[in-house]
Amino acid sequence: MTVAVAIALVMFLFGVFGSGGVGAQGPVTLNVYINGDTNIFDLWNKSLLPAFMKRYPQYRANFVALLHGEGSQGVLDKILAAKQAGRTTDVDLWETQPSFVTQGEPQGLWVKLTTALIPNLSRVPTQKLVATDYYGMPYRGSSVVLAYNTAFVKNPPKTFDDVVAWIKANPGKFAYCDPNTGGSGQAFMVAAVYKFVQAAQFAGGTYDPKAESAWEPAWQLLKDLNSSMYNNGFYPNGNVAVLQLLSQQNVYMASVWSDMGTDYLKRGLLPKTVKLEQITPPLFGGDSTVTVPAGSAHLEGVFQLLNWVLTPEAQQIVINQVSGYPGVDWQYMPASVRAQFAEVAKPYSPLPNSQYLADMLRLWHERVAGSK
Amino acid sequence: MDRAHRGWKQGALGLALVLPPLLVLVFLIVVPAISAIVTTLTPPGGSGPTTSFVNYAEVLATRMLRADIGFTVTVTLVSVAVVFLLSYPLALYLRFTRTRATAILGVLFIVPLFVPVVIASFAMITFLVNHGLVSTILYRLGFERFPRLVYNATGIVITQVWVNIPFAVLILGAGLQAIDDSLVDAARDVGAGSLRTFFSVILPLNITSTMITLTLQFIGIFGSFTIPYLVGGNAPQMLGVTMTDYLTQYLRRTESATLAVIAFMIAAVVGVIYVLSVSRRERGERVVR
Repeated sequence: MTVAVAIALVMFLFGVFGSGGVGAQGPVTLNVYINGDTNIFDLWNKSLLPAFMKRYPQYRANFVALLHGEGSQGVLDKILAAKQAGRTTDVDLWETQPSFVTQGEPQGLWVKLTTALIPNLSRVPTQKLVATDYYGMPYRGSSVVLAYNTAFVKNPPKTFDDVVAWIKANPGKFAYCDPNTGGSGQAFMVAAVYKFVQAAQFAGGTYDPKAESAWEPAWQLLKDLNSSMYNNGFYPNGNVAVLQLLSQQNVYMASVWSDMGTDYLKRGLLPKTVKLEQITPPLFGGDSTVTVPAGSAHLEGVFQLLNWVLTPEAQQIVINQVSGYPGVDWQYMPASVRAQFAEVAKPYSPLPNSQYLADMLRLWHERVAGSK
Repeated sequence: MDRAHRGWKQGALGLALVLPPLLVLVFLIVVPAISAIVTTLTPPGGSGPTTSFVNYAEVLATRMLRADIGFTVTVTLVSVAVVFLLSYPLALYLRFTRTRATAILGVLFIVPLFVPVVIASFAMITFLVNHGLVSTILYRLGFERFPRLVYNATGIVITQVWVNIPFAVLILGAGLQAIDDSLVDAARDVGAGSLRTFFSVILPLNITSTMITLTLQFIGIFGSFTIPYLVGGNAPQMLGVTMTDYLTQYLRRTESATLAVIAFMIAAVVGVIYVLSVSRRERGERVVR
């Protein structure tokens, strides 16, 4: 409660002083609201925005951090209130979860992005834009991949079925985190479900609980794997815990986020013998997108910023700093970057929609973890 | 007249002082609790003002949730028992022995009270995990196989005990301070041994503190979240974690509220014992006066 009030207060203050610099003579200040973890804040606040301001000195940026999405509802309410009052909003750019973008769509809160507004948008693969109804601009992505230690795994599995066979042949040497605690575990669970159903049926906007009976064989499969998992069916707490097991060589194979795994390898936190690879059918992944409120008073500046974010220069910053995938198509990236990501930068499966995912998490807990 | 006026003024002042906590109680606890209970009594689909226990039947029909409820009660009872068995001797020692060691111990035992629960939990994890200190010592002592100490009920109990001992010792100790030395000496004089003295003199005189300790510990551990979340396993889980998962992960508000009401009713039974033991003390005091 108090946190929400404090955030509202901070946002109010930012709102008041942030737009203070607007004027014909001075530089234009863009208010950039970013939802994420500290690594994403550093990406924007210490790298992307300073580089942008250096290149386009007519713009200043005011950075607002929404840690793990804290206060997002307030931001949406604020944009909506401004729209209803017929005023401009001081939120010029917002990185948020798709659910908030969806909520604001009927009210026409967002700018539909086109190449006329942002020329570099032509470099973004069309299906990524379609997935957001052209309301979100993907600027970084990641997917879950298979990590394995080549010191112990000589013939890495190439398909999901191969992985399952490997787990059964090497009991105790595979781990995925409790899906309730991290996306890398969710991806393995979802891969098992997608083995038996059409991914597209559960990734779209429709929701029908009756369709979930088709998941039954997946729970059976995962339940059978319990005894072959690390520590006789213990599912670690979170993405990081799995990476630690991998680094201590307690397990030889695991599902991990591509960006976290790459980052750990770069920092020497994983043995050099650990390799990351996408399997077929691929584990899931997604893009982080930024959305432009239609009520922004500085649309021209925001489009300038977004166009720059899609340049190789800015995309290189994203890759270097958070080991993400670029928002633009790989062909626009230098050959060295493509080589670095060659094994993981493959298409990934779609995330199930949030209601199906919630049900999968509950059923996994009941049918897999709870069946021991 | 003047006196009546002053009385009224004092009453108003008293009311003004009580009002803020009372409002907080009503608007942040009573009202949400009632609305939650109403939610749990509304059948899914929510057609009309019918009342039914269908949500409760559904929750209790889920094997996983029954397991979680049983697990929570068991872990709580075991934790309370261990805390009690360890803290009573400590409280007695601190009360009836006066040496330099007692003084140092009296400061040391209270340390966990100042360690945030999150830090205590992570400390316990590093201490108890596969390659942790405890495992290494056991292994060096020649134990090749021993039960897992963390990410299960054992881990939760160990951490709860570590965190809860200071509070138990403080309350038990406060009660023991009130016991007249002469009563203990008298028991010794007529030939009672240590155990006899404890069960016939000290425990009956300290029964209120004992009951308060037991009931408050039960409710605190029963409703805990951080320790079971960090130190517990995948399944079964304690209700604090289960309720959070149902609310935030599985997007099932009604089930979460239903579990909360069930948890509340279990805690309420213990709460009644607490109220009875406290009010008995107050009646007892009045008799003495």
